[in-house]
Amino acid sequence: MEQPLALKLTSLCVISQCKLERILSLCGDKKDLIIDPSLIKPLERICGVSWLRQHGIDKIYKMDPQLGPTANTNRVYFIPACVQKYKCVLDQISSVLSQNTTLSDKNCFHIIILPKVVCSFDALLENRGLHGIVMLHPFTWELMALDEQLLSLELPFLFKQFFVEQNHSLLSSIPMALWSLFHVIGRPKAIFSAGKLSASVLDILEVYNETYNRDFLTEQSSTEIGALIVIDRSQDYASSLLTPATYSGLLSEIFNISCGHLELNVEDTKIKKGKLNFDFEEQNAQTKSTIMTLDSSIDSLYGEIKHRHFSEVLSVLSSKAKLLKNEDIKALGIQEMKHFVATKLQQVTLFKQSLVNHVLACETIISEMSNKFENLKLAETEMLNNKNKKSNFTFVDENFGTDIHIYNSLRLMCLLSLTQGLSYDEYNTLVNKYLLAFGYKFLYIFSNLITAGFLIQPSSLKLSLNISNLGNLSDRLPKWQNSFQTTANKLKQLPSQPENVGKSTPSYVFNGGYVPLISVICSAVLTSDSLLEILTKLSALPDLKVGGKILDTFKVGMETFNEKLSNLKPQNDFEFGCRDAKNLSKLLKNDTKLNSVFPLKPKSVLVYVIGGVNYAEIAACDVVQKTTGSKIYIASDCIASGSDLMAASN
Amino acid sequence: MDEEDDYWNTSETKEKAFSFDDDVLSPQEILAIGKNQSPGQSDDLFTSTSISNVKTVTLPLSSLVSPKVLDLILLAQSGKDPKPVQADPEQTVAVTIKRLVLGRPASLYGHRSLKSKTELLEAALAVGDGNAILTVVLFLIQTLNKKLVYELLSSRPLALNQYISFLQNEGKISELTDLLTMLGRSPDAAMYQFQQQMRAQGGSVDGSLRKVTNLVANHFNQPGTDAHQAKMLADYVKLLEWQKFAAKPILDHKSALYCLAYCCTNHWHEGAGNMMSPLTLCQRQQISPLQYDWVVLNVHAKSGKWDIVESLFTKKDWLGRTTVSSHIPVESLLARLSELKASRQLLATCVNKVAASHDRLRLALAYKIHAVVIETYAKQKDRQALTNYKMTLNPQSEDYILVENTLRDNAVKWKN
Repeated sequence: MEQPLALKLTSLCVISQCKLERILSLCGDKKDLIIDPSLIKPLERICGVSWLRQHGIDKIYKMDPQLGPTANTNRVYFIPACVQKYKCVLDQISSVLSQNTTLSDKNCFHIIILPKVVCSFDALLENRGLHGIVMLHPFTWELMALDEQLLSLELPFLFKQFFVEQNHSLLSSIPMALWSLFHVIGRPKAIFSAGKLSASVLDILEVYNETYNRDFLTEQSSTEIGALIVIDRSQDYASSLLTPATYSGLLSEIFNISCGHLELNVEDTKIKKGKLNFDFEEQNAQTKSTIMTLDSSIDSLYGEIKHRHFSEVLSVLSSKAKLLKNEDIKALGIQEMKHFVATKLQQVTLFKQSLVNHVLACETIISEMSNKFENLKLAETEMLNNKNKKSNFTFVDENFGTDIHIYNSLRLMCLLSLTQGLSYDEYNTLVNKYLLAFGYKFLYIFSNLITAGFLIQPSSLKLSLNISNLGNLSDRLPKWQNSFQTTANKLKQLPSQPENVGKSTPSYVFNGGYVPLISVICSAVLTSDSLLEILTKLSALPDLKVGGKILDTFKVGMETFNEKLSNLKPQNDFEFGCRDAKNLSKLLKNDTKLNSVFPLKPKSVLVYVIGGVNYAEIAACDVVQKTTGSKIYIASDCIASGSDLMAASN
Repeated sequence: MDEEDDYWNTSETKEKAFSFDDDVLSPQEILAIGKNQSPGQSDDLFTSTSISNVKTVTLPLSSLVSPKVLDLILLAQSGKDPKPVQADPEQTVAVTIKRLVLGRPASLYGHRSLKSKTELLEAALAVGDGNAILTVVLFLIQTLNKKLVYELLSSRPLALNQYISFLQNEGKISELTDLLTMLGRSPDAAMYQFQQQMRAQGGSVDGSLRKVTNLVANHFNQPGTDAHQAKMLADYVKLLEWQKFAAKPILDHKSALYCLAYCCTNHWHEGAGNMMSPLTLCQRQQISPLQYDWVVLNVHAKSGKWDIVESLFTKKDWLGRTTVSSHIPVESLLARLSELKASRQLLATCVNKVAASHDRLRLALAYKIHAVVIETYAKQKDRQALTNYKMTLNPQSEDYILVENTLRDNAVKWKN
């Protein structure tokens, strides 16, 4: 019997469990698990402690460089693929070995590395003389269903590696996750990519498809997902930099959220923590705060308010409270009481708990943001539309000079730089204030922001005239026409009257100022009658590519990986899993065969954002799916707010 | 006007959400209902039930994928070869790259000619798998001389960046510096050096001082170095020197503004010229007047020294009226004063600095500075607005009486 898609998605953890089971079976019978603390929460979504016990895990320890002897000789470490953490584990193993050299023959050291073993890890193992003593196991867990139609790989470190460090070693973990997902839900026949990393993901996905092509696999396209859209985070930084106006968006501005769990810490919010500290006493008072699970299937109240504009949330909560109040007033007889206790009590209790939590969260949002929200939104909207550059700079400069925030202030600076540009002097004024506030050591943050593409490096005139830079001179000259507005206008991302935008258009997520790119792409794919129409609507996107079965008619011969590679011309794109949209458009004008695929059927789309998606984007897609009568499933490496992305530059 | 449209834009809606209105309950009221116990419910049950305990239902594995498919998924994860391994597969570029992309063991040593090595690099770059790219680059480093490798990398930014991040992660900073210097990118090398040193920070101020001084001397004074970056590092040295002089562990490695706050707290009355005086630090680090005002305001307000705040931020004008004077823009000042729980008096003085009566009223309403609201309505001769405003006030309060008196004032010629 065919199961509903939602249930299949929440069941992906069963496959992850199998993958982990296979690895644990290679690690001896009785063993200790030493786990990096950041992996505990996501692992809980895959298995519980009792499951681990059934699979030979005796004791569980948090990874700590100072960890002493453990209960068993067999040690299974579980860490994310970060060199520093890996080195730490190797140091620990070396020190255990130095105390007991006989252990080297016992095959008792295992490191499970999430999501992949990188080639440098192998080299490092050999270099430390641990090859043959320590076993490395790659573990690529499946996408996790955090909420209805929301999937996450829970690899929050990918953004930093991909965009800040320009280290793409773990890129193949994304196509691998998509590849196994498609074994469960089928392969979508239309595939789009926006950005260089996304194009590589499609190429690698095609390598998996070709290599693991077996006759028992079905060739049929998915009956549940019509199209896959993969997009690089860097294609739409504005959506990360802007302040969201939705409830869930604001929650992520204020509270720590990881793996779908929100820490309701109303005292020490993200806003407070990032500001200048004028107290000289060390504060160690760690209060244990309530954890809220942001999953509509568990908390229906959250489901009702998560995408709402914040202005509506309190009145919804208030009406729910009134319903409860009426329920309380009812005088119940003994029998009724028994019935109530047996059937509804727990539900009501949970509902009340959730109501209280959401009201506390709302109050915190109001007290932290209400003073600044209006001016902030105004300045952001003016930047987006390239208006009043001077007063926008003054706004940002004042923010840096007064109520500066370690991450949110950088967001403003980046937004101004991307939308209106910063002169050399303006740029340095802000840098200077930031360094005075938080320490000169943070000078490197700005280089990292430039590498990630959040900031455009301004150059002094002296530098531009340096002979070695002459080649780049055209890049360094100030641009009179801002490319941000040119592209955003072509894609209809900037509403002409932000103040009059209603709730039924995606831009409400930014108070009417901006339509997130992913909702623009979804809308184009879901509402067009032909591929050509989609490509025309999205022609302003620089790195758009198309793949999937819809291109089969264009294939010349078999076009295997080997053939494609041997015919590759230097500097040409590989185009194994996808093809350039611009070239395709030309072909399509003379060809109408493809038109049968669109309008898209099934009318549903899976979007994967490489480098973290945010709640405002998710809400904007919700508007698109409602207005087009479709389903949009969103997946990413993690849910990341703007401040999370700024933190990655540190 | 559609009030629902923009919650924040109007202070009126904000008032409403908080007021004990029939339509919308206040957060306090909702909390009261939520915390109210249901009939038959014990305290115990309430606290022990947590929302996250609800377990989601999952499908059995067999209805997700067939056993054969599962084996395929497990095979792909392991990066192992499917059972029959071919004895000696042909070592073409395509075969090698494909194995690398799949995470399978692959020997690159068959690729000995420069042409074959270059093709390997091109192919890895075409696919875009960072792990394959890095594997090939490390192979090139082992089998080609540096000059040739750097030549190959310099025209391939993707491979170059992948290698740079590898060197950085491995802490091989001198190799990284050599590479970038050879490519004519010394300023970038200087910044990587700096980042590396800062991340490894800790230890004594003296140690940091030596490190940064060396960096400035060796890397940040070369042609092509950004003048502003060099100045920032020079300022850093000055701050470290100051911290060394101050010899207070609590200030070590802290920011200039943090040190300034410390000086304001503990050395407020020391005059310019004294090393610990706030003024000295301010001049030394060229802290802007705006940032200085902000620190001074926060430090003194938080320790309850409102007399200092008032003497610094207010002055008497020629008519003898008290007015606010600060580098902090009035709206930000007001917001902060309100957060710091300044006196009504000071808030009123501050909001009165706003010239436009429209803005003044908006701010006075937002921060509930009743006296200013009442005065402004009276000036606008708006009896209706004032009467409505009276309803929001506590009937016993001074402000309530002030409204009543104002409404009765015969000197005002009401327009409505």
